[in-house]
Amino acid sequence: MERVLLVRYTEIHLKGLNRPFFEQKLIDNIKRALYGIKANVEREQGRIYIIGISDDVFDEAIERLKRVFGIHSISPAYAVDKDWDTVVATALSLIEKQVALRENLTFKVFARRSDKHYFMNSDGINRELGHLVLERFPSVRVDIHEPQIKLSVEIRDKAYIYAEEIPCSKGMPVGSSGKATLLISGGIDSPVAGYFMAKRGIVLSAVHFFSFPYTSDRARDKVVELTRLLSSYAGNIKLFLVPFTEIQEAIYENCPSKETTVIMRRLMMKISEMIAISEGSRALITGEALGQVASQTLESICATDDAVRIPVLRPLIGFDKDDIMDWARRIGTYETSILPYEDCCTVFVPKHPVTKPVLEDIRASEASFDFSDMIDRAIEKTEALSVKYSDPKAI
Amino acid sequence: MIYFDNSATTRVYKAAADIAVEYMLNLYHNPAAAYSPAVSVERAVSLSRQRIASYMKMDSSELIFTSGGTESNNIALSGALGARRDKCRIITTAVEHPSVYEPFLAYKAKGYDVVIIGVDSTGRIDEDAFIAALDANTGFVSIMHVNNEVGSVNDISRLYRAVKQRAPRAIFHSDGVQAFVKMPSVNCDMYSFSGHKLYAPKGVGGLFIKRGTPFVGGQLGGGQENNLRSGTTNVPSIMALDTSLEAYMKSHSENTASMLSVKTRLYNNLSSIKDAILNGPSIEESVPYILNMSFLGVRGEVLLNSLSEKGIIVSTGSACAARHRGKNRILTAMGIRDDRQDGAIRFSFSPENTVWEADIAAQAIEDSLKMLRRFRRR
Repeated sequence: MERVLLVRYTEIHLKGLNRPFFEQKLIDNIKRALYGIKANVEREQGRIYIIGISDDVFDEAIERLKRVFGIHSISPAYAVDKDWDTVVATALSLIEKQVALRENLTFKVFARRSDKHYFMNSDGINRELGHLVLERFPSVRVDIHEPQIKLSVEIRDKAYIYAEEIPCSKGMPVGSSGKATLLISGGIDSPVAGYFMAKRGIVLSAVHFFSFPYTSDRARDKVVELTRLLSSYAGNIKLFLVPFTEIQEAIYENCPSKETTVIMRRLMMKISEMIAISEGSRALITGEALGQVASQTLESICATDDAVRIPVLRPLIGFDKDDIMDWARRIGTYETSILPYEDCCTVFVPKHPVTKPVLEDIRASEASFDFSDMIDRAIEKTEALSVKYSDPKAI
Repeated sequence: MIYFDNSATTRVYKAAADIAVEYMLNLYHNPAAAYSPAVSVERAVSLSRQRIASYMKMDSSELIFTSGGTESNNIALSGALGARRDKCRIITTAVEHPSVYEPFLAYKAKGYDVVIIGVDSTGRIDEDAFIAALDANTGFVSIMHVNNEVGSVNDISRLYRAVKQRAPRAIFHSDGVQAFVKMPSVNCDMYSFSGHKLYAPKGVGGLFIKRGTPFVGGQLGGGQENNLRSGTTNVPSIMALDTSLEAYMKSHSENTASMLSVKTRLYNNLSSIKDAILNGPSIEESVPYILNMSFLGVRGEVLLNSLSEKGIIVSTGSACAARHRGKNRILTAMGIRDDRQDGAIRFSFSPENTVWEADIAAQAIEDSLKMLRRFRRR
């Protein structure tokens, strides 16, 4: 009796002629997620079957697959001979385990027969197997509408029997939607924004701006760690660390204080766009949520978007802060994000920032100083790291 | 690199590291075992214990080895209170190290009558308030010998006499992590120290417990350390500790003089800088190895980063917590606020530091300030 993982995916079905491309991406990502675990990944009739996983790493494999975007759910199943006695014995043993776990168990049998030559049809399997379960376990009842467990039997090349369905991350396979570049700050929001875009199939790269000595080496390490945590969902991420001190000081000395934040963000966007284009990214991603702080008003967003030509994706734009924090906890970045070394560059944060910047004024202030040499120098001194998630348990 | 953060930790003396290696590679036997190599290890530890206890003018039976300052401070409180049944009054100061302060807060939550005594503007305990707080129900007192951030010194022996007069049942503990062997020994019931502040490895320290002091050990097991703190004896670290202390004591007065000259030189250099203010006691009244100064108009953390880029290692008086701008408890208790608190830097010295380093560092600080002070929040 062999244990296999049956992987379901949903949205890929919608993709018409592109379907094989999406399916292949998903399979590649599954193989990457299972790196180091011996397994065969096979595609068949709208499902993916993972076979040959040894028992000691079976749960580990499930944990890793939960982080793969594009998977709707997985079921650990027994793959057995189609011989009826074997099917019955396997199904009864599954029910027996569930009976031991809870009282007043309700169930229904859900059979599917792809092998149309099988001697019994789906309806027949449902009735016959249901009857045998009731006979063997008198305490168990049938509930067609809301069963606690769905005893599924699929007759294909073999019989696949399972009772559990583990929900996964859903979304689209990473790599199926192109590349985009995330502006990552070290705060709570940007890793969540990156998560959501990766979930829609985006391959991420990331840009971080640091201002030593106003920000510390630890703040930099923190961003590397957040990127590493994000890469457990998004796959490898190329992280660009841009030295920003010189530009920040120049903004302070040459621009009106209330506009410094907007101008700073515009210049960050410009640099990010240059890096993004060189990386083949088609968009920037930020963790902004409308109205959260002075620089995230609609006027400020218009003023920053004006600095770049490529689209700026803001997946958190309609989120409340609480919800973003909940997501950060769910994806495991929150504890790192709240480490207190974020920034000591508070000297550069104006006491009274403009909340409704006038675009013409901002452009004029920015044009009063030629930042181009400094931008070139910053890009020249940018450090690129390839951040890879290595599962601590895999080491 | 110029290392002015010796109150955080020190470089282990070569001789101490060598002896630790010897006790790891060759004399590695468990001193509790029966065979003769083990017995000779036990004798060596016992000699070390005697020597270390003598620096405190106490007997070797009154010293237990621990994992360091935090453990010693924790078990001083829990061991003393474990020997009593009532929820008595326990007294400490507002400027203790977290390894004393946090356990006091935990006992407060358990219903003990916790009294926290304030300090004067130099960081010394308010003695009048302390004496007024002593009552017959007082069971435990913990007052640090030398403050780790500003280097102020409490007169532990005098306070001890006051406690014994007014609250004879109270046990007097002092956190000596920043003082042991560097300052003259004091008289009290319990005294903590840590190895890595004294050129020995991390992970070893001790707690003196005066004979007759009621104390209940916490860590159960094989009965080591007079049955008060079980666990296989950390022989390599203890031997290293003994070696480093012996080396330090051999040149005690030269060491003190050397550190004082570095501190004085650095202070004299820095005091000519605009808006540089000394925190804590005067140079003469504080310990010769800690100097705390504020540089107004610059966040301490930023100055620290800037200096570390130039190879000069210092620490901030205040932990930088940008979003919940964490106040520094010690400086706050001393009445130091706002800009002066934000710009605080601690310099702490070892005998390895030189006057030349003080000159280099002062120049570097002046340069960094010139650059950083251009930017003020506006």
